[in-house]
Amino acid sequence: MQATLTALVAKAQSDLAALKARPEFEAAKARLVGPNGELTALMKQMGAVPKDQRPAMGKLINETKTALQALLDAALGTIEAAELQAQLGPAVDPTLPSPDAGPGSYHPLTLVREEMCRILRKVGFTVADGPEVETEYYCFDALNTPADHPARDTQDSFFFPPTARFGNVSKHTPDEKYLLRTHTSSVQIRTMLKGAPPIRIVSPGRTYRRDTSDATHSANFHQLECLYVDKNVTVRDLKALLDYIFGSLLGKATKTRFRPHYFSYTEPSFEVDLSALHLPKVKKEWIEIGGCGMVDPSVFAGVGYDPEVWSGYAFGMGLERLAMLLYGIDDIRYFYQNDLRFLKQFA
Amino acid sequence: MKISLNWIKDYVALEASVEELSRALTLLGLEVEQIIRTGAPQLDQVFVGEVLVRDKHPNADKLSVCQVDLGSAGGVKTIVCGAQNYTVGDRVPVALAGAVLPGNFVIKQSKIRGQLSDGMMCSAKELGVAEDADGLLILAGRPALGTPINAVLPAGDVVFDLEITPNRPDCQSHLGIARELAAWFKLPLIYPQEKFRGKVEGELHPELLRNVSVLSPEDCPLYTAHVIKGIKIGPSPAWLRERLTAVGLRPINNVVDVGNYVMLETGQPLHAFDARKLAGHQIVVRRAADGEKITTLDGKERTLSSRMLVIADAAQPVVIAGIMGGENSGVSADTTDLVLECAIFRRQTVRWTSKHLGLTSDSSYRYERGVDPHSALEAAYRAVDLILETAGGQVVGPAFQVGGDVPWKREIVVTHGYICDKLGFEIPAAEMRTALESLELTISREEPTDARGPAWTVTIPSWRDDLDRPIDLVEEVLRLYGTDKIPAAVVNSPGLIGDDDPVVLFNRRVTDYLVGHDFHECVSYTLRSSKEISTWVSQTAAVELALANPFVDDQSHLRPTIIMGLLESLKLNQSRGVPVTQLCEVGRVFIERNGQNYECAAAGFVIAEPVGERSWLKRTPADFYATKKHVVAIAAGAGIDLARAPLVPVTGSFYGWQEGHSAASGEMAHGWTARFGLLNLAMVRALGVEGKVFAGVFAILPEKLTGEGTRRRYADFSLMPAALRDFALVVDLAVQSDEVRKTLAKIARAAIGNAFALEHVEVFDVYQGQGLPEGKKSLAFSLVFRSAERTLTDDEVNAVGQKIQDEIAKSTPWQIRK
Repeated sequence: MQATLTALVAKAQSDLAALKARPEFEAAKARLVGPNGELTALMKQMGAVPKDQRPAMGKLINETKTALQALLDAALGTIEAAELQAQLGPAVDPTLPSPDAGPGSYHPLTLVREEMCRILRKVGFTVADGPEVETEYYCFDALNTPADHPARDTQDSFFFPPTARFGNVSKHTPDEKYLLRTHTSSVQIRTMLKGAPPIRIVSPGRTYRRDTSDATHSANFHQLECLYVDKNVTVRDLKALLDYIFGSLLGKATKTRFRPHYFSYTEPSFEVDLSALHLPKVKKEWIEIGGCGMVDPSVFAGVGYDPEVWSGYAFGMGLERLAMLLYGIDDIRYFYQNDLRFLKQFA
Repeated sequence: MKISLNWIKDYVALEASVEELSRALTLLGLEVEQIIRTGAPQLDQVFVGEVLVRDKHPNADKLSVCQVDLGSAGGVKTIVCGAQNYTVGDRVPVALAGAVLPGNFVIKQSKIRGQLSDGMMCSAKELGVAEDADGLLILAGRPALGTPINAVLPAGDVVFDLEITPNRPDCQSHLGIARELAAWFKLPLIYPQEKFRGKVEGELHPELLRNVSVLSPEDCPLYTAHVIKGIKIGPSPAWLRERLTAVGLRPINNVVDVGNYVMLETGQPLHAFDARKLAGHQIVVRRAADGEKITTLDGKERTLSSRMLVIADAAQPVVIAGIMGGENSGVSADTTDLVLECAIFRRQTVRWTSKHLGLTSDSSYRYERGVDPHSALEAAYRAVDLILETAGGQVVGPAFQVGGDVPWKREIVVTHGYICDKLGFEIPAAEMRTALESLELTISREEPTDARGPAWTVTIPSWRDDLDRPIDLVEEVLRLYGTDKIPAAVVNSPGLIGDDDPVVLFNRRVTDYLVGHDFHECVSYTLRSSKEISTWVSQTAAVELALANPFVDDQSHLRPTIIMGLLESLKLNQSRGVPVTQLCEVGRVFIERNGQNYECAAAGFVIAEPVGERSWLKRTPADFYATKKHVVAIAAGAGIDLARAPLVPVTGSFYGWQEGHSAASGEMAHGWTARFGLLNLAMVRALGVEGKVFAGVFAILPEKLTGEGTRRRYADFSLMPAALRDFALVVDLAVQSDEVRKTLAKIARAAIGNAFALEHVEVFDVYQGQGLPEGKKSLAFSLVFRSAERTLTDDEVNAVGQKIQDEIAKSTPWQIRK
């Protein structure tokens, strides 16, 4: 019997090692240790073993059983490992490119706009929005620019025919003409009329001028404006904001300069120059970047704010110009062509 | 406005360098657009010398060794020279060691072929006074030896091209700019000496000018005419020609040049008539008749209207008032008697006329911006002086004057404290006072106040009509104090509570989503062509969205969808050989509905076939359902649940979309709209875009975006196991899956009653073909049942399944597929 058991283990060892798949394994397992298996059959012969030999024989059968189980476990392990291996294809070449397009990219104008909004958000400005189709009142009259004012010349505008109707752009007076806004300052008027001071908003958006398109001009462009209304606002506060904005955006090495200028809706008014010689492609010491000033008392009076009580400042700039400066882009038309070789540079 | 430095120096003794002047002008608010230098530059260490000896160079055939006497500037020097055009005794410019010639050419003592040379004798080109020169500049008139060369050469000039803001018409003149610079450098302003001052000799000469009448006084508040007899037309003197040339005007003759000179000096336009040519010897200032014609100096015939003002004689218009004279009334070579007009015209009238005729001039430019009526006569007197000086003649009869009788007086009361409060920093009262006074804003009264500093009563001169309120004086003080000295500060930001506008939040959310899903964000022009809109949207839209005054033909309409711009970008990339698939844009679109336009916030995207692009590993191409996923997400970003909105397949009436392969949802009547799927294959091809293009757009009225979503509420869910049953239904091909799904869900819920819950019904297979009748398809649904309290038994689920089958057979046209 002992020899039979030893032979059983030896045979199992060679049989199990050759197994490749689960069904063969299950069959082999049944044959060896199943209820009708060979080991079970041998165990049934225990009755015929002399009583004094039984403990030794019992021990031997148990050892055989353990040995077979170990062999079965090992065989199953091999099969399972082979099964997992079969789920894998050939090894990858990690240097092959992903066939999926991507990643996507934000447009550089979006990147600059959002960065400016973040910078301004930190000092309490929220982002306001308003219609691109405007009326003469919001675009000019409320900004102290009457119909015959030469300042209207400098922003020759796109108008709509008198018959045009815009269901969700409100007029201030019935016979106003609709036009495409020439600046985002119209948002300031709508915000002031809707709310009450103090106010602190930034209004980025599309603006339009009837102008020839070339490397630095576009009939369709983007502006970003800030309006701050509170008590006792000063020229020094305005300068502090601009120093803060451009220091944050372009680095501490950036300097700003005010040049006295004229805008009908601010008094005093300034043009803002930047000195940022550390930026790429910047060759001139001073680069004009925007306009600003203290809100003209007549603008406050027009929206029903008492100019004796409220004061404020406004600042505006072109986003294309800023993006061109920031990234060293030479031609404004690239922003509107959407060549992927341009767009992907900002991914 | 071009300003000559030499000219300015007539009125203010400037000594500052060009750089300092440029900075001063800039900080005064007179933006320097360009600096043009003319004539000889400043040349140090260059003197007049005389050639005493000219010997041949021992080691070079073409060179000479000269002894040159520089007199007081260093005596006799040895100069090696290569020029040939001079002889002993000529006086020439000599640059000694230390001189820097134009082009940064530094002169040193040096050896030339073994001979020591102390400097260089110069040509006109080397001195920067001529473009081209053959040989040395031989100085005419034998100037004194050792004279610095700048004293001999024609003086150089510096011309500043300035941008003058519309609020400062007073700066459209040399005197105006001189006043600003005098104030900045704290120098006195010297006005030109006038001799005439309105003195009249002799009597009226009706044979020259009988009468001046102003029929439209609101358009012409002041008209003056001086009559000058016996002048002689000829070229202007050199100084006058030089000045006009320096600022870019072409000298014509003495009378015309004086008119221009005085305009550029004072800002007051003038006009001279040949007295002979005025029919009836009359001047009538009147509105033109509609259709009346005049041929202007530039030789063009202009048709006038009754909103335009003219200067006419007894017969016809002779000048378009303030803009341009007629061809036949002006001064000519044989003119002997002049009528000199100096007038004020209403700026709006000039502006309107100039705009409608498309005709501008130096004169109209100034009138449009405003000319000071109270300084007009000064300009007339100045012009009379200069005409008498350059063309002779005499003033006859008293001048004609109509209007001009409203005296000027304006005072502004401002306190030192007010100015400091507006500035946010202190400037000493004395300094402020000096600043105001230096601009000829005289302080007529100073009184102490309870607050800081004094109160001033400031008298505003007539040429500063722009100063009307205390705030206007804040700017004047700051300009002269220097905007570069505003002290630094930290940003004042007391807390305000608010959030970004809902449209801004929507735009940001949607852009983040699309870029996060591998789209490249584009920015396209809002203005599109009429053809594009009638092709892709509708004829009505092409009418309603049109601009009144487009600048170019292909940018004449507002965009009603974002797709057109994206297709253009697709095409551009394809044509440049740049692989392109996914583009998106977020921005405004304008949607026409029942004759009204609505400005909407919108987002759109395109997914193009990767044309010609090869990849080592194939991916599943995009399809309709990819666009659906994105549009559902974009709509969700606007708070719209697309699953709850009816979805219709597009039919022929939807321009631009491929029938049977695209869908639409939402109505502008409800404030939003969405379209997605495959773009019309033929239209895409006609546009020149290669391959199939899938796309999606979503637009919503800004007022529909509230920014605040509804707060979510947690719902309990069961921890018990689910029971699953599948049903396959055979339906007509045209039946939409969602209709079947909803019906099936309703039947299942009725079958279950309150016993347990139907957790989920979803289609998992769509089949048509073998085994099914023609015109039918099979939709297989998976139903998930679950109880909150217990494990469901097979029996109860089977019972429900049976009920469902019975109900389908009874109440629907569909068959259960076995």
